[in-house]
Amino acid sequence: MSVEAARRLIEHLDTKIHEEELGNPFFRDPNVKTYPLDKSGFHKIQQTKLACKVAFVDGGNQEIVGAPDFSVQLNRLYFGMWDCSERILEKSMPRRIEFFSSTYSRVTSNQVFYDTSVFPVHEEHQTMIPAESDLSFDSLDRTVTIGTQRADIERVASIARVFAEWQFATEIVKHELEKGDILVVDRTLQTTFKNEHNYLTNLVNSAKKKGVIVTGLSKTSALFTDTGLSLMGALSKLAEDDGMDEEWYFPIAEIYRLDHNAMVLAVKLNRDAKRIFRYEIQREQFGELSEEQINGIFTHFVKNSSDLTFPGYPYGLIDADRFARVSLQEVEYYKALMFSQLSNVGKWEKLSRHIRAKDAHDVLNMLIG
Amino acid sequence: MRRMKFAHVADTHIGAHREPVLAQLEAEAFGIVMDRCIQEKVDFIIISGDLFQSGIPDLAAVDDAVKKMHAVREAGIPIYVIYGSHDYNPNGKSIIDILDSTGLIKKVVKGEIVDGKLELEFFTDSKTGAKLVGISARKAGLESRYYEILDRETLEEEPGFKIFVFHSGLDEFKPKHLAQMESIPISCLPREFQYYAGGHIHEKSEHTLPHYGPIVFPGTLFAGSPRDFEASAKGTQRGFYIVQFNKKVEKVEFVPVKVCECVYHEYDVTNKNSVQAQHELRKSLKELDVKGKFALVKVFGELAGGKTSDLKFAELKKMLSEKGAIHIDINRFGLVSKEYANMKVAGEDIGGIEDRLFKENIGTVKLSNADLKGEHGTKLAHELLKIVRQEAKTGETKKDYNMRVSEDAVKTLKLTGAMK
Amino acid sequence: MKKMEELEIAGQIIGGKVANILLREKSGKAIELGDLLVVDEPDGKYLILQVYDLSYGSQIPQTVRELAAGLKLEGYGPSLDFLEPHLRNYVMAMVKAVAFVSKGGAKIPKVLPSFFSNVRFIREKDLSFLIKPPNPVYLGKIRSGSKILDFDVFLDGEEMLTHHVLVPATTGRGKSNLVKVMLWSIADHKKFGMLVLDPHDEYYGRNSKGLKDHPNAKDTMRYYTVNPPPGASTLVINLRAIKPEHFEGLVDFSDTQLQAIKLYHRQFRNEWVENIIRGTEIDGVKSTTLAVLQRIIRVNLAVYLEDGQIVCKNRVFSDSAGEATISTIINDLEEGKIVIVDTSKISDEAELLIGSAVANEIFSRHQDAKAEGRLDEKRTVGIIIEEAPRVLSAERLAKSGNNIYSKVAREGRKFKVGLVAITQLTSVIPRDVLTNINTKIILGNEMATERHAIIESAAQDLSSDDRTIASLDKGEAIVSSIFTKFAVPVQIPLFDDYAKMAKPSDKKVVFTG
Repeated sequence: MSVEAARRLIEHLDTKIHEEELGNPFFRDPNVKTYPLDKSGFHKIQQTKLACKVAFVDGGNQEIVGAPDFSVQLNRLYFGMWDCSERILEKSMPRRIEFFSSTYSRVTSNQVFYDTSVFPVHEEHQTMIPAESDLSFDSLDRTVTIGTQRADIERVASIARVFAEWQFATEIVKHELEKGDILVVDRTLQTTFKNEHNYLTNLVNSAKKKGVIVTGLSKTSALFTDTGLSLMGALSKLAEDDGMDEEWYFPIAEIYRLDHNAMVLAVKLNRDAKRIFRYEIQREQFGELSEEQINGIFTHFVKNSSDLTFPGYPYGLIDADRFARVSLQEVEYYKALMFSQLSNVGKWEKLSRHIRAKDAHDVLNMLIG
Repeated sequence: MRRMKFAHVADTHIGAHREPVLAQLEAEAFGIVMDRCIQEKVDFIIISGDLFQSGIPDLAAVDDAVKKMHAVREAGIPIYVIYGSHDYNPNGKSIIDILDSTGLIKKVVKGEIVDGKLELEFFTDSKTGAKLVGISARKAGLESRYYEILDRETLEEEPGFKIFVFHSGLDEFKPKHLAQMESIPISCLPREFQYYAGGHIHEKSEHTLPHYGPIVFPGTLFAGSPRDFEASAKGTQRGFYIVQFNKKVEKVEFVPVKVCECVYHEYDVTNKNSVQAQHELRKSLKELDVKGKFALVKVFGELAGGKTSDLKFAELKKMLSEKGAIHIDINRFGLVSKEYANMKVAGEDIGGIEDRLFKENIGTVKLSNADLKGEHGTKLAHELLKIVRQEAKTGETKKDYNMRVSEDAVKTLKLTGAMK
Repeated sequence: MKKMEELEIAGQIIGGKVANILLREKSGKAIELGDLLVVDEPDGKYLILQVYDLSYGSQIPQTVRELAAGLKLEGYGPSLDFLEPHLRNYVMAMVKAVAFVSKGGAKIPKVLPSFFSNVRFIREKDLSFLIKPPNPVYLGKIRSGSKILDFDVFLDGEEMLTHHVLVPATTGRGKSNLVKVMLWSIADHKKFGMLVLDPHDEYYGRNSKGLKDHPNAKDTMRYYTVNPPPGASTLVINLRAIKPEHFEGLVDFSDTQLQAIKLYHRQFRNEWVENIIRGTEIDGVKSTTLAVLQRIIRVNLAVYLEDGQIVCKNRVFSDSAGEATISTIINDLEEGKIVIVDTSKISDEAELLIGSAVANEIFSRHQDAKAEGRLDEKRTVGIIIEEAPRVLSAERLAKSGNNIYSKVAREGRKFKVGLVAITQLTSVIPRDVLTNINTKIILGNEMATERHAIIESAAQDLSSDDRTIASLDKGEAIVSSIFTKFAVPVQIPLFDDYAKMAKPSDKKVVFTG
């Protein structure tokens, strides 16, 4: 019976996804200039030699100990530099840094606020992590809430890592990159949270000063066409129909916003790849690039995206993701570390009362296995 | 076609015996052989070594032998010889060379070393066309070096009736009791000879092997050592061979030569004391018929009591002599006393033990030379033991070592040239 | 860290437990099965590890690897490859610690190496605790994987021989070469007598380089064969040298037959065999029994009566020659010579009988010497026998009872008589015999049952070395002995390379006629 239901579901779904008209990129914002979705938009990547490095940056974080009124996180930032498919060793910066963050609630003027304190694992990395003053949020701040509900403290706690990524990237630009080098973050160039824009601006200024190009590549994209299709899906169909089986880039839109100032493109970085990705370049910097430079930049990506495990996705980002991640196994270790510290200072009972307000799910998980 | 034949003799050891009776018997045996050869009209005689007891033997014995050989030569029978282990002189000429130079005998060992190989020359008997070649012996089997470098192929390829003359024990045919004796394997000898005239082994034997003609040892003619007497007394035949041949050997016939009767008696002293042993031995010897015979008595075993010197062998010998024995030999090397055998060594050093042994037993050995008796004799024995205990120096060959030890021993014994 | 040391690093320990330490190979270092590796510890101490298994390690999940391989194989991704392949795909080595070396020497290790410590390839000087023994028998050079170190391996001949040696290997793995190398080494000094029963005539070197070419060959070697080349001895044994006990455990006699033999021996002493062959009838022995004995002698010795003459088909046994052969062989052995008996042209039965005759006499002499307190004066004598199951297998021993070879294997140590048993089938040799054989020079063996039998009886724990033994190439061996600190991997040199030819003698021979 479930087979029958599944069949009916699929049939129904198929009727809702119309590929007959692919449409054009859909942006409601008037500050966005879009490009039509037709085959003239495909630019085959011409393999061009460009002497530069590409730095891929990524971050990760996990909650170690959490309660409704506090959240302790382990945050991790990582970068790797590449010249096409060859890794380049860093000059002076640590490849990876870690810091703990502790986000806790306070009530002021009848409002719940979340503040975050940061604790680098190595004190000399203090300059690479965000200032605590930037990490104070009203729990009802629209940039942190989801819908109309008060922001979950865990979500706010993640913001430290987000800011840290920009901060870390800035340090990379300052110490490791030269003119013509490319910085790639594992996200779009759009900022979301209060104060986040400052960090991006800082990064872009530092980069422009040095001639380093700021870019971002997203694994996922929620962009649509004006016919309701996913933009990446529609582009894939267009490419297929057009017989574009080689590496290409496709300009999608130019965005002129304070929180998002970027040239948005779609890229296919390997002919055997099944996926295309959203790629953004800082808008002014994109405007200054020649066709040759663009091809040169993409040539680096193409060569870096030739790994057998994930064709078409830059290996530098696979690498950065692996080392930036905080695994659940590590979480257990650090949890034990935190708990033992709690015990040492005799505060275990006090904090565990609050932890229990949130951990019933964990108990169930443990029971069920 | 006339049958051709030759006589094959070996180990006559002329000059081995000083004792008049034995010397006489020895000469007589040799005389019988020579006479028989003339009688048989052999074409030639081969003496494969140890014709004489030493390189410079007793001249009286030499004189007798030479007369007999002269008669043989007069009868037109050549005598072909090689050195044996006894009758060569490492430092110069020996009696064999002297007789060879007179033409009385003919040494058939001639060759030279060419490119590391020993090339031997055949000597052809003019009457029969038989070709003879051979290798003489050296002391302690040192001739094995010549066999190592012998050019066998050339010898094997030579056509005609060939005889190889040698004076060595052969591994494959030596008797068990001579297992320790130096010998060579038969593979050292060239193959495809029609006859192999051996010497050095004192018991007669004939052997055959594929690729080899008859390999024959005539054995000693009389006796070269006490052991030979014992073997003769126990029934071992003495004599020589007459071989008939044409293109190959047709008949190998042993011709016995007996010059005296032997009586052999052995007595085991085990579980008896010296008094009992003397009494019983005397009684048993008294019953022997030794008139006109050679009497060989062997006394062995461990006395249950008393010393070996308690046994009066001189008395027993006298008794046998009075009974008419022409020669008496009492072998007592296997005789020991209980005290001698069971001597405790705890607390004594080796030197002390040796000294006591010498002193206790020097009296049991019959010695004519006063210097070899008593304290002086004991002291000499110690010194001799020290000399023979010496090890070979680094790089010293066996031959050089033997010579050095011999020379040291001679010096110690202060032997003059005549006594060496 | 010095650059040299960096270059020497083979890998890093990343986990495991005693006897199963895991290490990751540094890319490009090509760690091999059987490799000897070293972990340096403080104060000049170090652990020697040995690799017994290798496997692939990968940061990439199995399914992804399979897909990646599929892409490559089916031609879908000509431009695709693994980036940073040396980081993500690597070799894991499973190693065990075999020795812990300190100033006091080497001991069996009881600790794990420091976690995450670097591991380097072994160097010659790491083996300086292996000292050349006083009575050295050369086995080869230390081998690490397939690499040969310039470090010679010796065992003390006195200890090795008296405690017996097993050389287990399948065909073509270099058994004969090993034995030749050992004998060549033994011939350098006349310290042990060695009786070599050579069923393939491969040791002397009749037509090729062999033991005959040793510089000391004239003094230390004797070769017996049916058709001897110049200088070699004829293999001929007089029937009077054969005693009833020489057949013990080699020929199955019934009780009636044994009784008959006793009677013949009592009556005719050392002419008992001849009289049986001639058919001399005696009281107490039926003619049927006599006929059976004649047949047994014919089968085992190839001796029979023909036209009134005793004939030996293989010319080895004789009624007229060879009286002193056994005695001479024994004297040679006691003088420390190597006696090679070429048995290639005679039957197995005859070969074993000859060996039995010599071994019995040697054993007896040594027993007497021990009883008289003179055993120290005797040289150790070793007996090399090929296809050892002929005399040592459980089946043979159960069927025919103990023979001199099994007696030597069980008791020889007490009397300075040793066995070197060469075999393809270790599994058929009873455990109580195997446990008395304290040195095993293990050559390659592709049969699993045989490897297990070898491993179970080895002096060290070789339970993890099954794969290593299976992968031993020709000339590669593992020496497992109670006299070695660990199971030593060796490379046995090719005999032709190892044996330096005798220099032509400078001494001039003078022939004086």
